[in-house]
Amino acid sequence: MKRLFARYADVMDSVSVFIGHGCSVLFFACIAVSALEVVMRYGFDSPTVWSTELAMTLCASAWVLAVGYVTQRHRHISITMIETLVSPRVWRVMRLLQMVIAAGAVLVLTMALWDPMLKVLKRTEHSGTALNSIQPTYLKILLVAGCVLYILQLAANIIRWCQRTEGEIAGGH
Amino acid sequence: MGIELITLLIVVALLALMALGVPLGITTLTVSLATAILYFGERAGFFIVAANVGEVLHKYELIAVPFFVFMANVLERSGIAQSLFDSMAILGGRFRGSVAVQTCVVAVVLAAMSGIMGGEIVMLGLIALPQMLRLGYDRKLSIGIICAAGALATLIPPSVVLIVYGLAAQVSITKLFAASAVPGLILASLFIIYILIRVRFNPALAPIYDIPETGLPLFQRVKYLKGVVLPGLLIGAVLGVIYSGIATVTEAAAVGAVGALVVAAVRNELSWKMARDAMRQTVLTVGSIIWLVLGAVSLIGIYNRIGGGEFLRGLLTSLDIAPILVIVVMMLIVMVLGTFLEWIAIIFITVPIFAPVVVDLGFDPVWFGVLFAMNIQIYYLSPPFGPACFFLKSVAPKDIQLQEIFAAVLPFIALQAVGLFLVLFFPDLALWLPNLLD
Amino acid sequence: ETFSIQTSFNAGDFSTQYLTETWLPKIKEMTDGRVEIQLTPNGSVVPARETPDAVAAGVLDGDFTSVNYFAGREPAYAIMGDLISGYDTPQQMIGFCKDGGGEAVMQKAADAVTGGEVQVVACGPYSREALPARVPIRTFEDLEGKKIRSPEGLAAAVFQAAGASPVSIPFSEVYGALEKGIVDAADASAYVNNDATGLHDVAPYPLYPGIHSMPSMQFTINKAKWDALSPEDQKALRDWWYEAMFAMAAEVDKKDQELAARDGAGEKIEVINWAQEDRDQLREIARKEWENYAQKSDLAKEALDANLSYMTEIGLFKN
Ligand code: NA
Ligand code: NA
Repeated sequence: MKRLFARYADVMDSVSVFIGHGCSVLFFACIAVSALEVVMRYGFDSPTVWSTELAMTLCASAWVLAVGYVTQRHRHISITMIETLVSPRVWRVMRLLQMVIAAGAVLVLTMALWDPMLKVLKRTEHSGTALNSIQPTYLKILLVAGCVLYILQLAANIIRWCQRTEGEIAGGH
Repeated sequence: MGIELITLLIVVALLALMALGVPLGITTLTVSLATAILYFGERAGFFIVAANVGEVLHKYELIAVPFFVFMANVLERSGIAQSLFDSMAILGGRFRGSVAVQTCVVAVVLAAMSGIMGGEIVMLGLIALPQMLRLGYDRKLSIGIICAAGALATLIPPSVVLIVYGLAAQVSITKLFAASAVPGLILASLFIIYILIRVRFNPALAPIYDIPETGLPLFQRVKYLKGVVLPGLLIGAVLGVIYSGIATVTEAAAVGAVGALVVAAVRNELSWKMARDAMRQTVLTVGSIIWLVLGAVSLIGIYNRIGGGEFLRGLLTSLDIAPILVIVVMMLIVMVLGTFLEWIAIIFITVPIFAPVVVDLGFDPVWFGVLFAMNIQIYYLSPPFGPACFFLKSVAPKDIQLQEIFAAVLPFIALQAVGLFLVLFFPDLALWLPNLLD
Repeated sequence: ETFSIQTSFNAGDFSTQYLTETWLPKIKEMTDGRVEIQLTPNGSVVPARETPDAVAAGVLDGDFTSVNYFAGREPAYAIMGDLISGYDTPQQMIGFCKDGGGEAVMQKAADAVTGGEVQVVACGPYSREALPARVPIRTFEDLEGKKIRSPEGLAAAVFQAAGASPVSIPFSEVYGALEKGIVDAADASAYVNNDATGLHDVAPYPLYPGIHSMPSMQFTINKAKWDALSPEDQKALRDWWYEAMFAMAAEVDKKDQELAARDGAGEKIEVINWAQEDRDQLREIARKEWENYAQKSDLAKEALDANLSYMTEIGLFKN
């Protein structure tokens, strides 16, 4: 059983890191699309109708999907001054608490985002622009996916906490 | 339950979760979810949080943030700071305190390329600090300059702080950029004047040093300008694109990101690995920032709905003092929050409440944005949560303690406060440039 | 009872202030204090796009929003939100909402995007946007080949059909684009607002009264809250809203006319007022584009048919 959990943590870590690295590609694409728009608009006097929406969608995807990577690297922003004030044992317990609270909050957020997602899945929401893409629908699904990723990675972190295999912790939980 | 009591409970809950070390984004999210569900029940509560959280991903201007972060990361990995510093040392010549003054100037140039605080302090900490210490400069003076001048990255445009403020207050980011340029230079000048005065009265603080090239006549030294040319072009490209109205701030940021890669390529420092690492770092930074925004936006949405914004605006406007003092009160609140909160959280929590009051009192929200960004400068330095100090600590020689850094920045915090009050009482310092562009 | 209503007007807008100061006290009066309205500005509680669901969920008691925000949810909202080059005056279109079946269509659209928990009380526009231009566009024929900044969708389609080439740029860049001649004319706002933002300095040939856009709003109340009201209070709310919109339309119109008269008398700006036959010509062209757009959904088709029959009734179309 213990090995099964450890295996899960390992797999989850690599999934998060893999997706996180994939997010770099999305950002590169986003930069390319935005820079291209400048060239098209001012170089060739022919602005595109798709660049804004595409750039936003790419960036939003990277933001949201990076969450596993950020969590795996313990890079969430928090105030950890208190670490210097309490004993290492107390701090260890507090760290578990931080992760449990985060998992609980994100779980409730997922529940909150669930119905809006079902709604756009049933009745597609478009952007209402010239491109009229399904961006609003996509973003609502994306947020749920990000939350699920966050929870799964938190679970992996909690397993590592229990098994004391966390390694160096730099930032928040 | 009255809004006063709810406000108090919200603040207590926020502080408790933060003290526990819960990430700030989760802290605000938890409190907003709890408030929403308790106040509206599950269905309406869930809806209001989901709607506000979802809207964050529709904010086009926010895309500029990863671009500027990436740009800074590329510059950090290229040797631009080093060659800037070298050319400045040679161009500047020798006078007492010259290295310290050059550090300020280099910091300003870097600030005009970078939109985030951190990288610049790391760069200066790696390049300028060892140099000053080796030459026998006073430790505290050296440390203070690097933290204070390095923090200018988010006051001198481009600035991610101003972008986020512009989003929260719904004012033109281009105008904010134009308005903050002069105050940024004022702060830099204050730093330089302070250095010159200090070393004049206490020469032991800054020995005169010798680089052979600085002995050459000026026209021969000019050839060392080359370290300045590329950064200059990059700055010109980004700011030029923004102010000429050619492109949106977001597109200018994209141009800047491409420009940074081009500069690195011209300097033969671009590699796939370098670009990749810079982007992975960007993913981590931005990926953590977005949760701060999500949480804060969610909290302010629910707080507004239960009448909190109205309540706090009422409190502020009912203060029986001169309007300008209301602004001072707001600045003090930001300063207090700055001792323990992250800047994005400060902006998203205070600005939606402050900005309408600022407008009601007859002030320009652009001017207030500049004051806000100057206040954030203080936040970077001020203990106990002074991010600029943490950044310097991470690269400073091991024997430099955090306490020493905090002591070293104190006079510079005073200078930042002087600058803040200058702009507070002479709004034209900030506003003449944007008005000119209008 | 106090209804918390979110509007798509921004906090500092003229309309927000005008409604808050002049009209909010009146509803209290009309219902003997039983109904009060608290108007919260754009995005203060939920994003404008989400207001129908917010009203359905009871987060907001109602909304007072430009329905164009919902065009991505149901194409009928685009037809109802801004029938490009359709009506000549806001009063005509308020009439469509009030007496010509507009409300019924709006109710169907609201039911389509929510679960029937939203009551449409009233709908209609309050202003017609002017069209600042840097070159004279005096007639329908003059539109040929002009580059016009226009919002994507129906407006762009109509301009294109009329021979112009629509350009899509963000609103924040309209000034620069007119100044540099990147566009010849630009969809912007009402005359008074264009004057305030200085657009006429760079575009001295404004078309006023405008020829294209007339954004329409809706006033909705949560169904449960609505049903709890007495019929008299329900009637009072509806009457109140239409009175307010007619008054606001008159107010904006007055300001627009004053400024247009001032500019018309001066040298620098030439205010162009299209002849009725040019307006009718554009309307005929636009009609084909509306019909194209109305293909997008059954409800859009229904919305258009309702508009067309009312327009025929009041003489904007011959048949
Ligand atoms: Na900067
Ligand atoms: Na601080």
